[in-house]
Amino acid sequence: MSHDLTQPELEQLVRELAAEPERWRHLVQHRPDERTYAELHRDEHVAIWLICWMNDHDTGYHDHDLSAGAVAVTKGAVREERLVLGGAPAARTAKAGEAFTFGPADIHRVSHVGTEPAVTIHAYSPPLWRMGAYEVLATGELRRWSLSYAEELRPIGA
Amino acid sequence: MPVTDVHQHLWPESLLRLLAARPRAPRLRRHADGWELELAGEAPERFDTRAHDPVRRAKLATRDGLERVLVAPSAPLGIEGLPAHEAQPLLDAFHQGVLELGAPFAPWGSVALAAAEPRAVDALLDLGAAGLCLPGAALAGPQQLDRVGPVLERLAQRGAPLFVHPGPAPSTDARLPSWWPPSTSYVAEMQAAWLAWAAWGRTAHPQLKVVWAMLAGCAPLQHERLRARSGPANAIHDDRSWYDVSSYGPHAVDAMLRVVGVDRLVLGSDRPVADPPALASLGEAVIHAIARVNPAAVLAR
Repeated sequence: MSHDLTQPELEQLVRELAAEPERWRHLVQHRPDERTYAELHRDEHVAIWLICWMNDHDTGYHDHDLSAGAVAVTKGAVREERLVLGGAPAARTAKAGEAFTFGPADIHRVSHVGTEPAVTIHAYSPPLWRMGAYEVLATGELRRWSLSYAEELRPIGA
Repeated sequence: MPVTDVHQHLWPESLLRLLAARPRAPRLRRHADGWELELAGEAPERFDTRAHDPVRRAKLATRDGLERVLVAPSAPLGIEGLPAHEAQPLLDAFHQGVLELGAPFAPWGSVALAAAEPRAVDALLDLGAAGLCLPGAALAGPQQLDRVGPVLERLAQRGAPLFVHPGPAPSTDARLPSWWPPSTSYVAEMQAAWLAWAAWGRTAHPQLKVVWAMLAGCAPLQHERLRARSGPANAIHDDRSWYDVSSYGPHAVDAMLRVVGVDRLVLGSDRPVADPPALASLGEAVIHAIARVNPAAVLAR
């Protein structure tokens, strides 16, 4: 890519890749205990990952620091929830064939829903670097933990 | 996937003896209050033999949580560049000595550049070397790459990695302090080698796995400038290159992580020259990737 991508450009990118399963089908692998990840592409401006979900796998609330992103669902379904203080999260479910985007300022969590394992394609621009993980204490206090992207996309089990 | 440090130095007893017996640099000389190391381009420096005591070093490795330690020849000594009949006994002493230490230690192999041949690579790998270590200057241009081409070809055929380490400093003013070469010529040499690899080496050896010591002198961080001058900036995405983090800390490693991604970094400490880098602030997943997952990818044959 020659520049950092906007959210519509990211959405177009993940939708195009979702329509070309021959480029990633061989990397699909589901594990009951955790999500699995594979990096499909990386350049100066965008990083693209394949993520496989099942059994209600859940990212927890997080942000992407400076990166915008887009997610295309190719199989199964995932639920995206935006954090709302003092209220129920703003939630939507994306099913196979659907996509959604988020900006650097958005705080969300993504989880697997339904009985069928899910496969999603994620693009981040600029490539993910640091992230914030949010912990909501029983008192309602919100805590932010600074993480490298490895905690999300190269977790210890990977 | 054992916790692996891909970059330490340890001079076995037999190598110390041979260096002490040499009439000229590189050599060890005894003084009233201990030993001094004489190198061609650098001011003589006090040399503490305890830093190379294998029992002490094995304990340090255990304390650092290391399960495998790759021991590199000390390329700044310039042994590889000596006439082959001078170099070979020193290199043999290094390889044999490290192999005799056994786990967790294993040597990177090294060849006399004047007589570098593919069969020397076979001999080293058959002996138990993890791969081949070359000084950066031996790769730092198209002619140099042509010269070592057959050796690299064999290494790639065997599926073994190349480790690129700074070589000897050019002759300098004896008044310069010991930190001068590591902060000037070593950095420049690693950057030149990385750029030459980007320009010519990778095309000639598409399959060869390459581990760059000291983050290749942070050469990948120069990619924007390289692109501005129409250079091969896409080399930052070479997925058969890895960078050891030796002598750097969270600032440089974090910057590299941003440019090349976490899959490209490996743990290297440069012990006993430097202590292992303090990288805890980068998080457990980064440490896990660079100490276990990525070295396993480098060393898989």
